[in-house]
Amino acid sequence: MTLLDFARGPALAWSLYILFFGSLLRLVGVLLARKHVDLSQPRNADTLGDSVRTVFTRFWFKPEFRASTLFITLIGYAMHIGLAVVVLLFVPHILFISKLSGLSWGGLPNDTIMLAGAITLAALVAMWVRRLQNPLMQAISNWEDHLALFITGLPVLTGMMAYGHLFQDYPTLLAIHILSVELLFVWFPFGKLFHAVMWIPTRFKLGAHFSRRGVKA
Amino acid sequence: MSDDKTLGERLRESGLSRRGFMKFCAATASMMALPPSMIPAIAAALEKARRPSVIWLSFQECTGYTESLTRSHSPTIESLIFDHISLDYHHTLQAAAGDGAEAARKAAMKENWGKYLLVVDGAIPQKDGRVYSAIAGMTNLEMLKEVAEGAAAVVAVGTCAAYGGLPKASPNPTGATYVSDLITDKPVLNVPSCPPIPVVISGTLAHYLTFGTLPELDHLGRPKAFYGQSIHDRCYRRPFYERGQFAETFDDEGARKGWCLYKLGCKGPVTYNACATTKWNEGTSFPIQSGHGCIGCSEPDFWDKGGFYEALSKGTFSSAEGIALAAGAGAAIGVAAAMGAKSRQTEADAKHKEDPA
Amino acid sequence: MSGLETIPVTVVTDEPLTQTGNMVPILNEIRHALSHPAETGESTTIDLGAIPFGPGEREELLATLGKGEIEATLHALGESLIHETAYPGVWIVTHRSPQGGELTTCIEVTRTPSLLSTPPADVSEAAAALKRYLQDHSARESA
Ligand code: SF4
Repeated sequence: MTLLDFARGPALAWSLYILFFGSLLRLVGVLLARKHVDLSQPRNADTLGDSVRTVFTRFWFKPEFRASTLFITLIGYAMHIGLAVVVLLFVPHILFISKLSGLSWGGLPNDTIMLAGAITLAALVAMWVRRLQNPLMQAISNWEDHLALFITGLPVLTGMMAYGHLFQDYPTLLAIHILSVELLFVWFPFGKLFHAVMWIPTRFKLGAHFSRRGVKA
Repeated sequence: MSDDKTLGERLRESGLSRRGFMKFCAATASMMALPPSMIPAIAAALEKARRPSVIWLSFQECTGYTESLTRSHSPTIESLIFDHISLDYHHTLQAAAGDGAEAARKAAMKENWGKYLLVVDGAIPQKDGRVYSAIAGMTNLEMLKEVAEGAAAVVAVGTCAAYGGLPKASPNPTGATYVSDLITDKPVLNVPSCPPIPVVISGTLAHYLTFGTLPELDHLGRPKAFYGQSIHDRCYRRPFYERGQFAETFDDEGARKGWCLYKLGCKGPVTYNACATTKWNEGTSFPIQSGHGCIGCSEPDFWDKGGFYEALSKGTFSSAEGIALAAGAGAAIGVAAAMGAKSRQTEADAKHKEDPA
Repeated sequence: MSGLETIPVTVVTDEPLTQTGNMVPILNEIRHALSHPAETGESTTIDLGAIPFGPGEREELLATLGKGEIEATLHALGESLIHETAYPGVWIVTHRSPQGGELTTCIEVTRTPSLLSTPPADVSEAAAALKRYLQDHSARESA
């Protein structure tokens, strides 16, 4: 069995088992956890509207924070949109997703995907440099923040290397690319990357919390 | 049997002119996938080349390789090459049979000990006392070992001999294995494919004949001249792949326009062979040009790399049930954990109410 | 009724052919190589068998190069056709086997393809042969 056979076969199967097992475990566990009993008097009893609103208002910063957050917000968008384009609009990726989901849609030409990949990588590097240099970020970062950036960037980097046949033959690079994605699958449910699923419930909960206390946020 | 005349002498004896010889060298260079600038070097080497003895053993195989070779599209050039090698033993092509054939093999081995070229096609069964394939009362392994011992080099022709091929495909009922798994003390050169392109077989033999050495090999033992680039890298449909234009079925608009066959399972990106440039049947076409994706036949275990019609990026796992099971298990444990936490909290609350202190 | 007519077959004749886009780079290579024969006498050979072409593309390349003033046929090991293209200095050499199958087709960028000039050994052999003929001839005359 070659490295590529291993990556496309058993490694892929097991990483997917772990991905789905871990994601469901964490999602169900969190959603069913008992609500925090708040004995204080609510300023606002009907929090639903504010909760839903918060899910969306957090897509952009408040004007007051412009100076401190504009850069990282733009970088963040570049990274996330770039990643989404690469993951969801590269035809071989679409075929893989359609095998899992049965859904299918059109893709983009390869050079567009490469451009998106390059933007994603550059943005990830910028985020990492900021995390290393900004004193506040230094103070609130732990090893997992660095790991999350690394695990996200690795598949993009290896994918682009495979596409360009850099340093190695294509089958080996493809195997390394697939293995790096499998690493992402395995780590995804258990670390901070799970925000990709949790961002909605988290913002909703935060919205409810603030609303109850009468905070406009 | 071998004699002492050089190829140059033989060709001139047969009445070939100097221009004819240069033409022969040009065709040979092209066959060996060498650049035309090498023609003078080839001419010089062929002029001096001596006649090697070749013993050809066929084991677990379908004779597709011999069929392919004898249908080479440049019969004159190849017949000149083959006239010049002394094919001393070949099951399918030799006239002798039975004891006579075996005697010819033994005689050729003795006379050219240490110098002959051994060509093998077919895999070698290892299970159940190796009973699944035998010749003249010898198991394939015995014959392979015996002949390989006195060979200068071994050429494994076809995917069966090179990597096990169809006989070794899962579940491999005969325990088939391949030449380089068994012969480790001699140079082994692989010429895989199912079957190999005739020009690639004769080009490889021509290289040995011309230079007396084996050509440069890749990590899977294949001559780089022919297997140095992937089908995908030399595929004329590649521009469509880059533009994201794919045939979705074998008879849709895209298929008729000659778009890329990736979605229909083409394994060209991970297959190394010369089909895209050398092509088949006098350079007429090759599978992708005929509208069918590459099945990857020059790669080890190509039978077991998932469906021929499954896109490469889909992976080889087939585990919808497995994933559903994993997700179900995750959800169940999540529910159990949440419930457990809740009941512990409720108990704690109750205690707290009873005894707020 | 074979039922064949129920199979929906569309015959397409005017579809654009698949293009690798290899023609223009080859023409560029030829253009570049054309500066050599004039300056250094160096010639360049491009083996068309080593280049991927879509259906019809090779024919298009050859048609673009066109036919020039000279055409020669070599009769040895089957026929070989050597002709200059419409671009002087660019030659096409096609070797065929005695059965007529194509062995190789090369583009040669040179003033004279090497196959056209006589091998020096053939020249000296020719001189010897002619000398023999003349000796025999004069022997017969005097006899
Ligand atoms: S048809 Fe196959 S080899 Fe050709 S470009 Fe598409 S995927 Fe690559």
